[in-house]
Amino acid sequence: MLFNSLPFLVFLPAVLLGLWLVFHRTKTRQNAFLLAASYAFYMAWDWRFALLLAFSTLSCYAMAIRVEEASDMRVRRLWLRACIVLSLAVLGFFKYFGFFTENLSALLAAMGLHADIPTLRIILPVGISFYTFHGLSYILDVYYGRIRTHRDVVDYALFVAYFPLLVAGPIERATHLLPQLKVKRSFSYPQAASGLLLAGWGMLKKVMVADNVAPYVDSVFSDHAAHSAGAIALAAVGFAVQVYADFSGYTDIARGISRMFGIELIRNFDFPYAAKTIPEFWSRWHISLSSWLNDYVFTPIALGLRDLGRHGVFLGVMATFLISGLWHGPAWHFVLWGGFHGLMYLPYIYSGKGLRSLTSRKRQGRTPSEYPMVALTFAIVCVGYVLFRADDTHIALGMLGRVFTLAPGGIPREALAVPLFGGILFLVEAAIASEAVQTRWSGDSLPARGLRQAVYLVLGLLVMLFWGSGSQGFIYFQF
Amino acid sequence: MRYTIDDLLPIFRDVLEDDGITLSETTVAADVPGWDSMNHIYLVVAIEKRFKVKFTTYQIQNWKCVGDMLSELNK
Repeated sequence: MLFNSLPFLVFLPAVLLGLWLVFHRTKTRQNAFLLAASYAFYMAWDWRFALLLAFSTLSCYAMAIRVEEASDMRVRRLWLRACIVLSLAVLGFFKYFGFFTENLSALLAAMGLHADIPTLRIILPVGISFYTFHGLSYILDVYYGRIRTHRDVVDYALFVAYFPLLVAGPIERATHLLPQLKVKRSFSYPQAASGLLLAGWGMLKKVMVADNVAPYVDSVFSDHAAHSAGAIALAAVGFAVQVYADFSGYTDIARGISRMFGIELIRNFDFPYAAKTIPEFWSRWHISLSSWLNDYVFTPIALGLRDLGRHGVFLGVMATFLISGLWHGPAWHFVLWGGFHGLMYLPYIYSGKGLRSLTSRKRQGRTPSEYPMVALTFAIVCVGYVLFRADDTHIALGMLGRVFTLAPGGIPREALAVPLFGGILFLVEAAIASEAVQTRWSGDSLPARGLRQAVYLVLGLLVMLFWGSGSQGFIYFQF
Repeated sequence: MRYTIDDLLPIFRDVLEDDGITLSETTVAADVPGWDSMNHIYLVVAIEKRFKVKFTTYQIQNWKCVGDMLSELNK
């Protein structure tokens, strides 16, 4: 059941009505109802997925209690490791088993050995990468004493399975989400209205921008040899527009829906294409995953290797990005994409402090003198997108080869979609930003209300218009 | 010997290259421009070198603010 599907248009109002009219009296009822709705939502894909979700939830829940209750440090560490191994083993089996066996077969064949390695057709449970990370962050935070365990199993299960974020994030932290689930929420019209509006903007980004840039991007990536350097470069820029509109649109829908339930989810994007360095880009793009990897992968590795000085930091960065690549999918082009971004950190790690200080984000605005840095960073990100979007490494390198050797040829007319919808995306982002300001300032004055209603109307019409032309699945659902 | 904020301040200013930094026991990374995860590693290395101590990863991961760093140093 995708957010942009018709069944969801029935499901969401039913859950909203159920929560605020029937199950609103106590926190326990609210959470039990939302948990049941979340499992129903998840089982709409395949009921068996729910068993795995429940197993993952209960195992982390129980082992976190063991971690907290153990007085011996070695026992604490043992339970933590058991949970990490179990969680990653489940994720690894469902997501990476095929990748591992294929590559092992290829390696053995290259060595002249022919082994009969069993292959399984395993269905990837939707959202497994996201809810596995939810559980892991919880037990790691318990281990490091950042939070206490949450003993109410319904609240905890809702933290893992909450349907707005279940299948594609944002990856929430227990420190942010659980305190909101511990208390009874009340319906608030302004909050629900602002949530509806945010979800509407997100839907518009998806159906109007992402879905209309996709055909040109797909046509170039599926037949790159027939396209010129300019056409390929525009397709990479087009994918930058598409993936941002798609994923940030999804996140806006998730945050907007959640706001209607009285629960705030963390912000996942902060104008990433305005970044003037690659490290800054990663502090603005998919923030919930970047900060997760930063806290639970980079920091422990880099601390463990700190005696190696800058080399240790570099190894930590590379390991983090390679894992990030693999997290996105079991394919070498994702690993290459991760490695490429890791390498982009080299100047900041090995340079003097002056360059390193550039990586710290201090303000939102950009001065004209910073535009070249912003453009360069965007170009680097687009090179990375070719590695990310291509079906395999061979195609990705072939495309980059054609761009850098300035392969001749024209640019198809369909490429006009890139500047057109890129411009629309820019306007939509500006509107969302101004809406944030408006929500904070407006209160409930008549002009503000009138403006909001006009925006709802235009937004609704645009979404219906573009939805009618056929909407596609969200890119990040596959991860 | 008991270490204080004044002992940590020069290290922060040197690593983060900002003489305007001020610290208190409740200061957290978000309060100090430039105190990101990468610079955090360099800060730990500089503190260990200056005070000739070696922290475990578990100890470092438990730090929530500058006061926690001082408590660890003064143990």
